[in-house]
Amino acid sequence: MARIEISSLAKVYPGPKPVNALDHVSLDVAEGEFIALLGPSGCGKSTLLNILAGFESKTEGEVRFDGQPVGKAGPDRGVVFQEAALFPWLTVFDNVTFGPRMQGVAKPVYEKIAHDMLALVGLKDFAQAYPSQLSGGMRQRVGIARVLVMKPRALLMDEPFGALDAQTRLSMQELLLEVWQRLKTTVVFVTHDIDEAVLLADRVCIMSARPARIARQIAIDLPRPRSIDDLTTPAFIRYKAEIMQVMRDAHPAKAIAAE
Amino acid sequence: MTHGAHEAVTTSARPSAYGLAAFRGGLHLRKLAAGAVLPLLVILLWQLAGTGGSLFGGVLPTPDRVASAWYTWAFGNRGMGMNPYSGSWFDSVVFSTTRVLQGFAVALLVGIPTGIMIGWNRLVAGAVDPALQMLRPIPITAWLPFAIAVFGISSIGAVFLIALGVFYPVVINTTQGARHVERNLVRAAQMMGASRLDILLRVVIPASLPSIFTGVRIGLGTGWTAVIVAEMIAVKSGLGYVLWDAYYLGRMDVVIADMATIGIMGLLSDQLILMIERYALSWRLVNSNR
Ligand SMILES: Nc1ncnc2c1ncn2[C@@H]1O[C@H](COP(=O)(O)OP(=O)(O)OP(=O)(O)O)[C@@H](O)[C@H]1O
Ligand SMILES: [Mg+2]
Repeated sequence: MARIEISSLAKVYPGPKPVNALDHVSLDVAEGEFIALLGPSGCGKSTLLNILAGFESKTEGEVRFDGQPVGKAGPDRGVVFQEAALFPWLTVFDNVTFGPRMQGVAKPVYEKIAHDMLALVGLKDFAQAYPSQLSGGMRQRVGIARVLVMKPRALLMDEPFGALDAQTRLSMQELLLEVWQRLKTTVVFVTHDIDEAVLLADRVCIMSARPARIARQIAIDLPRPRSIDDLTTPAFIRYKAEIMQVMRDAHPAKAIAAE
Repeated sequence: MTHGAHEAVTTSARPSAYGLAAFRGGLHLRKLAAGAVLPLLVILLWQLAGTGGSLFGGVLPTPDRVASAWYTWAFGNRGMGMNPYSGSWFDSVVFSTTRVLQGFAVALLVGIPTGIMIGWNRLVAGAVDPALQMLRPIPITAWLPFAIAVFGISSIGAVFLIALGVFYPVVINTTQGARHVERNLVRAAQMMGASRLDILLRVVIPASLPSIFTGVRIGLGTGWTAVIVAEMIAVKSGLGYVLWDAYYLGRMDVVIADMATIGIMGLLSDQLILMIERYALSWRLVNSNR
């Protein structure tokens, strides 16, 4: 489990018209904490996550992961992508064992972990299927399983359920809650769905429109373990209302579109 | 968890069955029959239009004449003075096919790695791509005198031309494939601890396979074009040589039988590549064949 410290992080995408994507963002994530980054489209959520993951370089500021400056992407930070980004030429099982194989883990060891993780995400009967034979939700479960087998110290998730239908999305949220309840990994979860943010996170960080800053952080003190039944409780609705108000203030025109 | 392991093993038969279905999809009898209607109709009309075994004042022989010439070409006794081609069909087919295969092999061995490197590595792209783009507009026919001057009247010259003809489409399509690998696939591999070499071998190459096959199929067409052109001028054997020779001797029946042979060889080799492609890319076709 890892601690993440971001201080005055700035990112400018160079080019003929440089894009000022992040404007001195500061954010600390405690060990084992689940935080949600919420903000309108184009505000820099993915940029922040990609810098954390090591896919993108920073322009200014500091990003520390367990006290160390983040370097290249690696198995300590498991990334779950929006479109799953599975290797279509590999079976589910080979996708899930890709990480351990790259790291030279012994076959009997990773085979056992992979089977455990596939069982955890409810896909043990699909080990030998190809991604093209799976539904979007199933692919996303594989995307989660292949990251979990590496026992990452943090999970970075960029709108992982954004492309799923409402029903599937709910079941994926329940699955993630269940998994997180067991593993207690540090999670940074990007979304622009307010319900999703409140349901999953210990803390919701609302980002302002570009150049992005953290406009407000709201701790979600709903009891755990949570389930989708919480979506309709008065306490949940109060958090939701508060967040909507903050988003309206932060970027009046875009707040509605962001929901 | 040993239970889970067993379950996964038993399900392993399933996707390979899908793969086979994709493999079998290639030659469907009914589709084949439907496709034969038009050619048969043309042949029939052609036969009926002819008088005394030919059309257009003796220039174009009717299909029955072509068939009998073809039969003699394939099964006749060798060395019968009346027909210089008698019994030599198989030899010609083997000569030409061997040359195509040799040129094809050289082109793939050079073209695929070159394309992958151009698409994957900016330095290689900068060094190699401009030269390729400059040479590419020169049609293979324009290389004929060069090939003869360098290799003489020999099989090597023909193989050189074929290899060149196959090389361009293969290298260009492979480059496209390697250049446009989905960014998140590369990122996912990095995130899982893959080295640059791992990414090249396990992500870039498999992701480029569909484009590589496109290039290979186009290349095969150019390969057959090149072998005919080369054999007409730069070698004294094979289907291209017979084609030109028969034309000079006024044997239009042999010319047409030769053209049909080339067509059939092209079709068969394309079907072969298509079958390999279906098999190699079965992961992509699983859904459409269900
Ligand atoms: N590689 C890049 N080069 C130049 N500009 C970029 C690049 N990536 C992102 N941007 C710009 O930076 C800004 C922030 O993009 P980012 O993808 O981080 O937003 P986001 O909050 O993730 O949006 P969404 O919710 O739509 O995914 C946008 O204006 C985008 O156009
Ligand atoms: Mg984004």
